[in-house]
Amino acid sequence: MKRLINILSAVLLATLLSAGVAAAASLGLTSKTLAAGSAPVTGCTSSALTATRNVDNSGNVTQVSVLSVPQACSGEMLAVTLENSSHTSLGSASTTVGACTGGCIVSVTGFGTVSAANVTAYALSLTG
Amino acid sequence: MRRFHLTPLRLCAGILLGSLAFAGVAYAASLGLGSSKLYAWSQTLTKGTCNQTSTTADDTYVQQASPNSTAGGTATTLTIKPTAGSQDYAFIRFNLSGCTLPTTAGADSAVLSIFVTTAGADTISLFPVYSSWSSSTLTWNGLSGLTIGSTATTTFSAATTGAKTATVTADVDAAIKAGTLWGWELRATSGAATVAIGAAENGTAARRPSMTLGYEK
Repeated sequence: MKRLINILSAVLLATLLSAGVAAAASLGLTSKTLAAGSAPVTGCTSSALTATRNVDNSGNVTQVSVLSVPQACSGEMLAVTLENSSHTSLGSASTTVGACTGGCIVSVTGFGTVSAANVTAYALSLTG
Repeated sequence: MRRFHLTPLRLCAGILLGSLAFAGVAYAASLGLGSSKLYAWSQTLTKGTCNQTSTTADDTYVQQASPNSTAGGTATTLTIKPTAGSQDYAFIRFNLSGCTLPTTAGADSAVLSIFVTTAGADTISLFPVYSSWSSSTLTWNGLSGLTIGSTATTTFSAATTGAKTATVTADVDAAIKAGTLWGWELRATSGAATVAIGAAENGTAARRPSMTLGYEK
């Protein structure tokens, strides 16, 4: 009986450890050990980009255009969030940056009904 | 082979180690380390107003019956007439250069105020103008050289005299991005009466065209 308990305990321990390693591997962490640290993340640009928006005659945002997106960002996901003065999201939308030569103008639509008068900031992100 | 003895202390240590491994994985997942590239930034907008008065307005009306006349450029009222073969169209624009808005700015709201001095049962439609004109030179025959939108932005009724408003936010927003606001052509799209609206040269300030403009940049 004591031998059986030893075996079961060992199996449990091995299972816990292997599960952790397997999950870490699925996240692409190459280290064989898991510890606190940071992984290098590179962006397609490090420059602040400029966004501008269009409105309909009711003053609601119809699209946001992000100007001069580098060609290197082609294929990445551009997400735009419209924020009010409390930095609360009023609406968000995203699109994939298409192929272009030089700086791209990327237009994002689908924010729902958001009054431009209430938008005081754009939060933007590019992820690949 | 050395036999492994699983003591209670070793068992607790194993469970603790396994738990830490799971916690590490969960923490890593919450950070979104699945992305190989990431760039984020924010842009704060400045809000303001830049209301327009007769001092920045330019207006005229052109007459089909006098196709080369520029008399509308100095008139104190602008005539709008739907009579076939003798139509009159009015034009109003504002010079927004004093607002110093970049082409990345935009209108949050824009409302045109017009004063009907001679009423008639007409619906007046505002069509956006996209090309250059001046009240000192525009004539009926010169209309063919203008680029004018085929869809009215908005309408108002001229059935009664007094102040009327027309929301023109989309047109002004687009004009800011284009760099210049070329204003609107006003013409009767229903009704048969000849109506008139106050011009920038009108002797009564309240009868002159104006526009409230709220913007972001």
